[in-house]
Amino acid sequence: MDSKLLPEGVERCSFGMFILWMLPWLAILAWGGLAAVLCLVKGLNQTNMSNVFAFALWIVFDLGVIALGAGAFFSGFLTYVVGKKELKNIINAAVIIGFICYSGATAMLGIDIGQPIRGWFIFWHANIHSMLVEVSFCITCYLGVLIVEFVPIILENRKLDQIKELHIFGHNLHHIMGVIAASGTFLSFFHQGSLGGMFGVMYGRPFAARDGFYIWPWTFFLFVLSAIASGPCFTIICTKLTELLTRKKLVPDNAIQLLAKVSGWLLSLYMVLKIADTLVWIYDIAPRAGFKFMDFYREGPYGVWMVAAELFVCGIIPAIMLMTPKIRENQGMLVTACLLNCTGIILNRFVFIIVTLAIPVMPFDRFLSYLPTWQEWAIGFAVIAYGFIVFSLSYRYLPVFPKERELNPIAG
Amino acid sequence: MKKEHDQGKYKYGMVIDLDKCTGCGTCMVACAAENNVSVRPDESDKQRSISWMQVYKADNGKEFPEAETVYFPRPCMHCEQDGRGGHAPSCVSVCVATATTLDKNTGIVSQIYTRCIGCRYCQAACPYKARYFNWWDAYFPVDKGLERYLSPEVSPRMRGVIEKCSFCHHRLMRARTKAYADGRRKIKENEYITACAEACPAQAITFGDLNNPKHKVAQLIKSKNAFRILERLNTKPKVYYLSSRDWVRKIADNPVDEFSPISG
Amino acid sequence: MGVTRRNFVKFAIGGVAGLHLTPLPYKLMDDIAIWTQNWPWVPVPPEGEFLSVKSVCGLCPGGCGIQVRKVDERAVKIEGRTDYPVNPGGICPSGMGGLQLLYDRDLRHTGPMKRVGPRGSGDFMEITWDEAIKTVAERIASLRKNAKTEALVSVDGNSKGSTLSLMIERLTKAAGSPNYVRMPSLEDTYEMGNLLMMGNNGPMAYDLENSDYVLSFGSGLLEGWGGPGRIMNAWAVLREKASKGGATVVQIESRASNTASKSDKWIAARPGTDAALALGIAHVIIRDNLYDQQFVSNYTSGFEKFKTMVLGQYSPEKIVDITGVGKEAIKAMADGFARAKAPVAIYGKGKGTLNGSLFEFMSVQALNALKGNINKPGGIIISDPLPLATLPAISPDGVAERGILTPRFDQAGTNKYPFAVSLINNLIDVINHSDKSPVDTLLVFSANPAFTLPDSGEVNRALKKIPFIVSFSPFRDETSFMADLVLPDHSYLEKTDDIVRPNGLQYQLYGLTRPVVKPVYNTRSAGDTIINIAKAVDTKTASSFPWKDYESVLKIRAKGLFDSGGGLVRYKGAEPAWKWKTASDGPDYKSFGDMWKKIKTDGLWYRKLMPSAIDSGIFKTASNRFEFFISQLELAVKDYPTAAPGGNRLKELGITVEGDAAFMPHYEGNHHHDEQLPLTMAPYEMVNLASGWAPSPPFAYKTIFDDQLLGSDSFAIINPGTASEFRIKQGDYIIIQSKACAVKARASLSHGAMPGVVYMPLGFGHTAYDEFIREKGVNPNLLIPPGKDPLSGHPVWWTTPVKIMKG
Repeated sequence: MDSKLLPEGVERCSFGMFILWMLPWLAILAWGGLAAVLCLVKGLNQTNMSNVFAFALWIVFDLGVIALGAGAFFSGFLTYVVGKKELKNIINAAVIIGFICYSGATAMLGIDIGQPIRGWFIFWHANIHSMLVEVSFCITCYLGVLIVEFVPIILENRKLDQIKELHIFGHNLHHIMGVIAASGTFLSFFHQGSLGGMFGVMYGRPFAARDGFYIWPWTFFLFVLSAIASGPCFTIICTKLTELLTRKKLVPDNAIQLLAKVSGWLLSLYMVLKIADTLVWIYDIAPRAGFKFMDFYREGPYGVWMVAAELFVCGIIPAIMLMTPKIRENQGMLVTACLLNCTGIILNRFVFIIVTLAIPVMPFDRFLSYLPTWQEWAIGFAVIAYGFIVFSLSYRYLPVFPKERELNPIAG
Repeated sequence: MKKEHDQGKYKYGMVIDLDKCTGCGTCMVACAAENNVSVRPDESDKQRSISWMQVYKADNGKEFPEAETVYFPRPCMHCEQDGRGGHAPSCVSVCVATATTLDKNTGIVSQIYTRCIGCRYCQAACPYKARYFNWWDAYFPVDKGLERYLSPEVSPRMRGVIEKCSFCHHRLMRARTKAYADGRRKIKENEYITACAEACPAQAITFGDLNNPKHKVAQLIKSKNAFRILERLNTKPKVYYLSSRDWVRKIADNPVDEFSPISG
Repeated sequence: MGVTRRNFVKFAIGGVAGLHLTPLPYKLMDDIAIWTQNWPWVPVPPEGEFLSVKSVCGLCPGGCGIQVRKVDERAVKIEGRTDYPVNPGGICPSGMGGLQLLYDRDLRHTGPMKRVGPRGSGDFMEITWDEAIKTVAERIASLRKNAKTEALVSVDGNSKGSTLSLMIERLTKAAGSPNYVRMPSLEDTYEMGNLLMMGNNGPMAYDLENSDYVLSFGSGLLEGWGGPGRIMNAWAVLREKASKGGATVVQIESRASNTASKSDKWIAARPGTDAALALGIAHVIIRDNLYDQQFVSNYTSGFEKFKTMVLGQYSPEKIVDITGVGKEAIKAMADGFARAKAPVAIYGKGKGTLNGSLFEFMSVQALNALKGNINKPGGIIISDPLPLATLPAISPDGVAERGILTPRFDQAGTNKYPFAVSLINNLIDVINHSDKSPVDTLLVFSANPAFTLPDSGEVNRALKKIPFIVSFSPFRDETSFMADLVLPDHSYLEKTDDIVRPNGLQYQLYGLTRPVVKPVYNTRSAGDTIINIAKAVDTKTASSFPWKDYESVLKIRAKGLFDSGGGLVRYKGAEPAWKWKTASDGPDYKSFGDMWKKIKTDGLWYRKLMPSAIDSGIFKTASNRFEFFISQLELAVKDYPTAAPGGNRLKELGITVEGDAAFMPHYEGNHHHDEQLPLTMAPYEMVNLASGWAPSPPFAYKTIFDDQLLGSDSFAIINPGTASEFRIKQGDYIIIQSKACAVKARASLSHGAMPGVVYMPLGFGHTAYDEFIREKGVNPNLLIPPGKDPLSGHPVWWTTPVKIMKG
């Protein structure tokens, strides 16, 4: 039925099968759409966010996907700026994942703010001192960059490629990819960093606050580092998942291994710095604000185990696994390490957002907990569903994996 | 008008005497009535109800019959700094849309409701929980008649924006206008006081210019019993407290080292 | 140059670029920004001319001075007045939120109403004032025709001695009924006790501001006691003195209330044992010869008997067992109280509006007498009621004369309750124990018995049996929901009415509320309505009400103030009114006309305290002395016949002790002990939650903590130790069961609670009003069986045996 639109020389499931696969994701997207409409029409009282949990599930989702989406800019950087040619086999997937993450996060933020129709005030009345302004500017610009990066991939669709003007346009875009990737890298560096900075500058919240370099608290650099350490792993996971679902090998091992290796080294560098940062926090920043390390974990479900989980189970262990060639060459171990790495990063964002807000600063105040409403979950899951839909469509109709034909020759 | 108020000349602040405070809540009601804060049918949802002035309850942790309670009325602290020496409080420096600013002339941290986009970053940044988000539209059902007591001096807020204590800024305007009409350049000590300070039946709240040594607040903060909440964060709040009880002063901050009592 | 396509494009591009150099796009953006602020459902308060109107708060008998900020005709804010002696600037949270009680349509009856739904539903239909008045008048007229006038009963919650109160009593009497019933209040206990011990029935007054040692027997000074505006200011005065080491407040109370927490010393005595503790303190004072011997020998009688009893029966060892208070603490209180220069022992639990136990009060008064701090600075003040003019006597016709002489339904003033004036709980009993309600028509003024009386279940049962109820309440309260007809009064901000001597105030003060705004709804001042009704009943009834309107009645009464000479109608605030004067002030008015005019604008007349020599003339008892041994009580026991032949007169009065002690302040002991109900429920009051007739303004709910009310559940406070015995954790649902009823609440664990006692806040659990107030928490009155205080016969609120279980 849609065979004319499919890339040449590759095998795709039947259209009916594809629709069947898409249905549950579309259903979740519709569910999320309903929740979004409720939130926009009735207001944020539809959520369980509160004056205590000003940031909640959505922001965890946002920061999580933006960190994981870092695979796009970092792969682009490695491919076009550093010149790692083998990564050309995975860069398309990385870009699409990046696009999904960033567009999904931006959409969520649009619902998350109390006055969405005033969202543009961020640019109109920008406060240059605010880390969130830096984030907003960079994310908006970077989303533009991602679109520019995504467009040539779309234009490679068999049907679209037949149109001469589009073919030339796409081709020209390819030529300037180096510049685009470089600017994407620059923008990403700043917004990943300022996302960390956002929390580091909350000096009134000793749990999140950090000292820093010039105007940037250390979290600025740690967030950049953790994002580029985990983003490639997320790209690997997505690729492996696609390979699993399509029962095909799509990316040559050398590309995957390179990404995994780089991730591993970056993660270990990140762990060294993160542990140093944690020690400074425990022995300097917290006591200066009147807190002992254990004071933060006096009450509620968030115990010291979170620190152990983040630093050891989801930090040092995957770092070692990824750095050791023998381990990362084992597919199961590779995926496990990537999953641990990504979990660690989500946990890190969760801690900075939710735990920071749950811990009272005033000694006579109390610890509070928060559970999201279905509306919050729906919108969160809708972003995941949106990701599956966009990636599935891309895979089906676009030549996402350049080596697919080579690795999976069609018999006869 | 502007010329008459030199830069950084005034630093309005508040002193709350916890020995006198009885926890009656009049300050909260006075504040809500003065500033058009709406009342929702369920005000027990404390995480989402709005009270610019919030009375916190704390106890000495002892058992019956040694248990004692203290009340901390908590307005916006109108911090001067962010805690790392930055010359604006955290909530101001984090605001994306410049919807909240520190007026260096008066020391008052303002909030522009019509500019706030409702990102709530300022809420997350404030350790005092002094900032409130409008989770709902203000509750003034049609035909209920409640909108009739609204004061035109303070604009009612719309859903989706942050609001907070303004040190009754409109009262400063009122006092200035009066002084101007009387041909005076300065306003007198008690001409500008907040609604909570005025209403307190136990006279526990004193308001004035901390920079003016003649003002009562400037004298009270020199007391050995004077302290601020979370002083260690170094945000330089302009709301001070007085208490003769050691345990009260002790629980106002998170002390890692030993607390040194000054009395008894 | 022609208009070519190229030129046009150039022009367009240039134009767009040029436009960006003008302020237009930026202005438009700003306009869009402003547009996003115009949400049609966000109210925009209209501007107007600001003005300020002075008046007096009428929400409670505290009578604080208020000034109302107005914008044109709208009242926008209530503030405390600094030119009013009671409350220099501050007011309580309820008073602060008063405008919500004025404007909230769903809290108020917006006009005269006829009930259309079942009782309690709150479904009414608005009728005309003429029809409403005609209906009531015809009802009374028909009772008069059938000589059944005693079946007309009025229930009055207004302050004693207020003009409105007199008018209600007058209407009841003029129509021919003796059944004018007052809502029970601490005033009854004060009055009865003072009458018995001092022969004086003037208002109770404590000179707290001038005191240096306040021994408070459970008085919720910071819970709204005795007029919160005044008391909280007095508190500030005492704190100021205390910071210089000049004043001590000792709070005797089983719970760490605000007062207990904030006082200098908290003494946790078991609930219901205050009399024993007071007498234990008296024991130490007498034993150690710390009492004022000159006063005791010159101005008291029965001291020797009292001394014998106290020394014999109230040794500290014994008191320790009864009260749980340590011996050292008792000694310290005795020393502190007796050695202070101006000490005062005060009585009246909680807000000081609900009755206390008569013997308990007299025990506390005995302490004041031992110290001789009567009519002295910082002590208790005996003063006469305000010198308001009396109204001319009514002229009852035959029907009325017959009716007035029928026995009161509540048996007040009979041999059984010789000193009681009015006992509403007996009325409830009588109705519930008759097949047909003896009450035909009930008029309810400024009261909400369906909510505020103990054993609310029984009260509601009685109300349901009454054929016709008329409510005059401006508020949609529970009792008005039981009414067949509502003739709503104005709110206190819409009418002229007098505040006769605020609760507990030591100097004489008369306050006058004024219409701050024009009536918001179709209501009418209850005083005027009474005159209207009387005139519509028949000419005979009308003849007792010869006045044009209620305000002229107020004016007639105020003339008495003028005639008494002196007094001030302006308060400057420079010198507090509670400062004792040596020479009389004023008057600061020229004529009665001038005085009345000034009262109408400034709302007050007052007279400062003057020392009057203590001589025997001050005590109007049989002995002309303060009586430790109460001769009048002895008379009531010995000279009156017993109800049943051979009965025990003391037992009939509810007194369980024998011998001389029965005629002296004594501890009655704990007769509530019940194996099945091992715990005690003690209700408590909060200053930020109205528990009386007027509702709390919705604003006040902001001030209530979420461990007091959460959603629709209120909390009972329990000691963590007691809670663990029942495996109850913070926030658990529990069932609290008494003899009367079982209710559900949530548990709040606190070390401020005495083990074995369950504390429940009064003021929650409304079933009427609107969404702000309705269905929030549970009313502890449901649990409280209508006990009878020995001798006084009044309901007993403060200790109810209960059991609890997880719910």
